[in-house]
Amino acid sequence: MPRRKKEPVISPAMLPKVGITEVQAGGRRYLLRNDVMFTAMQHAQGEFSDFFLALRDEGKVFGHRCPQCRHLIIPPFMKRCPACNFVEMSKEYVRDLGVVAATPVITVFAPSRFKGQVPFGTGRVFLETLDGKLSDTAMLIRVRTTRGTIRPGIYKKGTPVKIAFRDERKGEIEDIFALPQSELTAEQLAKSPLFESEIEWGRLSEHEIGEATPQLQEALREVKSHFQKLAEMIPQSARATANLANWNRSVNVQTGGGNFSFAVKKGKLQVRDETAEEADLILTVKDPSILLAWLRDSTEGIGEGFESPALTDLVVEGTLVLNKPELETITRLDRVPRSLRRDHVLAR
Amino acid sequence: MREVAVLGAGMTPCRSRWMEKTFWELAQMAVSEAVRDAGVHVQEVEAGVAGIYNDIFEFQAIPESGLQGIVGLQNKPLMRVSNGGATGAYAMLAGYNMIASGQYDLMLVFGVEKALDCYDFEAESATPAVVQTIGYSWDPWFERPLGAHASESYAEVIQAYMDEYPGDLAPRARARIVELFCEHAQNNPYAQRLGEKVTAEQVLHSRYVVYPIRALETCVYTEGACALVFASGEMAQRIKERTGREPIWVTGVGAANEPYFVGNDITRYKVLHRIYSDYLATRKALEQARLTIDDIQVIELHDAFIPQAMITLAEMGVVPLGRGNDLVEEGIIMPGGKFLVNPSGGLVFGGHFVGGSNMMSTWSVMRELRGKNLEHGLVHGTGGSLSMYGAAIVLERRV
Repeated sequence: MPRRKKEPVISPAMLPKVGITEVQAGGRRYLLRNDVMFTAMQHAQGEFSDFFLALRDEGKVFGHRCPQCRHLIIPPFMKRCPACNFVEMSKEYVRDLGVVAATPVITVFAPSRFKGQVPFGTGRVFLETLDGKLSDTAMLIRVRTTRGTIRPGIYKKGTPVKIAFRDERKGEIEDIFALPQSELTAEQLAKSPLFESEIEWGRLSEHEIGEATPQLQEALREVKSHFQKLAEMIPQSARATANLANWNRSVNVQTGGGNFSFAVKKGKLQVRDETAEEADLILTVKDPSILLAWLRDSTEGIGEGFESPALTDLVVEGTLVLNKPELETITRLDRVPRSLRRDHVLAR
Repeated sequence: MREVAVLGAGMTPCRSRWMEKTFWELAQMAVSEAVRDAGVHVQEVEAGVAGIYNDIFEFQAIPESGLQGIVGLQNKPLMRVSNGGATGAYAMLAGYNMIASGQYDLMLVFGVEKALDCYDFEAESATPAVVQTIGYSWDPWFERPLGAHASESYAEVIQAYMDEYPGDLAPRARARIVELFCEHAQNNPYAQRLGEKVTAEQVLHSRYVVYPIRALETCVYTEGACALVFASGEMAQRIKERTGREPIWVTGVGAANEPYFVGNDITRYKVLHRIYSDYLATRKALEQARLTIDDIQVIELHDAFIPQAMITLAEMGVVPLGRGNDLVEEGIIMPGGKFLVNPSGGLVFGGHFVGGSNMMSTWSVMRELRGKNLEHGLVHGTGGSLSMYGAAIVLERRV
C-alpha cells in the first residue's frame, strides 16, 4: 500500500500514446482519438494540514469538539459547529482505539488508480475520546487483517479496532489503518503509536485448515489433475497464453487435503507436487473441492448457462485466502476459461 | 406557486457506448423528439435546464456551453445542474421552480451523458476508468485517497442496513427483483438491455462487484439523453387546444441531501443504515401533492443497486424498514401487486445515463399513466457518497 518516493502519481502505463483508431459501426467508419484529461496538482491541504502533520510527526489522531453541544468530530473536517451557529470548535486528541460503525466493505474492482491494491477493505470507525466515550462521527479508514487478505467475518458492526501507523508517514490519510484488537497482543494494544513494522503480518498458518481426511485428500488429487490438464490446454490458446503473459509468480497452495504449488511463467502454468521454498504468494483453502467448480468450468466447461464461477469470488467470500493483497494472479487465472472457449480449446 | 405540467418527452436509445454520436448529437436527438411529442416549436421555448453529471465523462468543463445553440436555446437562459446521480431529478426541480415562480411559461429540461469514452490503457478496459471518474466525486483529503468509489459507498449503506435488519434484503428476494426489472425492460423500446433475459438463478451465480453485491444487481453505465417539455398551467391549456392531448401535471416535488460525514445523530450526520434523504424527499413531495404513498400506483425509482432500491422503497413507506423482503414475498411490487415499480426496467436494465436517467423515469411514468389510465406516479433520484442525495417528484394524470 505505501507509495515509494519518486514513484509517479499515475502509472505511465495508464497514459495513452498519441493516436487515432478507426472503428466500424453499422457499416460506417468512426474515429476514436487517444487523449487524457490532464491536470497535475499541488493540492493545498489547508486547514487539514495540522491533522495530517499530527499523523506524520506525532503518530496521533485529533478531532474537533464544539464547546456548546460537546459533539466531537473526527476527522476535524470543519472548524465551526453549524448546529450551534458556527461557534468555534477546539482541537482534542482521541485514542487510537475504537469500534467499527458497520460491517466494512471489501473492494475487488477498484478505480484505475487503486487497481494494484485489491482486495482492500474500507470501514468507518468511531474512536474513543479521552473522557471514555466515543467520537460523534466515524471516519473512513482502511481495515486490514494480520492474517492474510481481508475477507468477510473479520469485522462486523461494533468490532473493537486499533489504529496503527505506517512506518514511513507522509502526512496523508493513508498513513493510518485499522486492525481488529483481537489480532493484537496486550503489548501491541498498549503501545501508542503502534507501527506497521511492529505487527506480524501474513500469519496464514493460523488460518484453520484442520485435519486431513481421506475425502479432502481425494479432492486434492482431483484438483491437481484438473490443474495439470489446464496447464496442458493453455499453450493451445493464444488468448489464455496472453492472459498469463508478462506475469511471473510461484504460488503455494495449502489445503486441508495437503499442499501443492503452481507457477505462472512465460505465459504458461506449471503444476508441482511439492511446495516452493520461497513462494511469491500463498493460497489457503480448507476444502480443496471448493476449487473444483472453477477447474471443471476451465477444463470441461460446466459453467454454461451461468456466468463462469470465479476464483475472485472465492477470495471475496473468504473461502480462498491470500497471504497478501495481490489479486492479479487470481484475476489473470479467472480470464483463462473464457479464453479457452473463445479459442475453441474448450468446446462451447 | 403556479401549476406546472409536462407536455412531452423524448428519449435516445440507451447504449453502453455510442461511438457514432457525441453528447451534442445525443442532446439534439432527445430535444427534437421532446418538442415533437409536446407539439411545440423549439423557438417557442423560453428557457432551459441541462442535467449533466460529470465534466470528465463529457471531456469538457462547462459542457452545456456547446449545447446552447444546438438545442435551439440561442440567446435564452440555460442553467446547467449537476447533483451526482440525482442530477436528472434536480434538473427537473429547477425547471419546475422556474415555471412555478411565474418567470417562464415554456421550458426545456434535458439530461445527457457520455461515459464509456473513459478508458484505462493499462488494464485495457473501460471499467476501471469509469469507476475512477465517478470516484473523483469523493473528497480529496479523507476518503478518495483510500479508494472510495460508488459501489463501495452504496455497499456501506447496504451492509449497515443488514447489520440493523439481519435477514432482510435476502439474496433470493433481490434476485427476483432483478428478474422482474429485466422483464419490465423488455417493454421499454429505449432500454439498454432490450432482448436480455436474466433469471434469479443467474443473479445468484453472478460475480461479486463488492461483497455482498453481485454484478447482476448493479446499474449499467450508459450513454444517452432524455428531454422533457415543461409548461405553466396556462400554457399547457393553450397547447392542449392545438394538440388535443392532456398534459401530465407535476403536483409535488421534494428534495433533501444528507451530510457527507457519518455519525449516530440523524439530525446532524449521515446515519449509515438509513437513506434518510429518500424519506425526507418523498415525504415532502407527497405532502405537497396532498397524497400518501398508498395513493401512488407507479414508482420509477433510482435503482443504482437492487438492495439500495429495496431500502429506498422502505424509506418511501412502501414497506416498513426491515421488511424489504415483503416487496417480493408479499407480492407488493410483483406482477399484480399494489405498486408497479420501474416499468422502464429502471437504471439496472433501462440504463443510467447519469444526467438524464431520472428524466427517463419521468418519461416512463408519463407513459404508464397515459397507457394504463393511472392517476398518480412517483419519480425518484438518488446519488452522491453513501446515497446522500434524494429527490422525488409526484406526477398526476387528471381524469
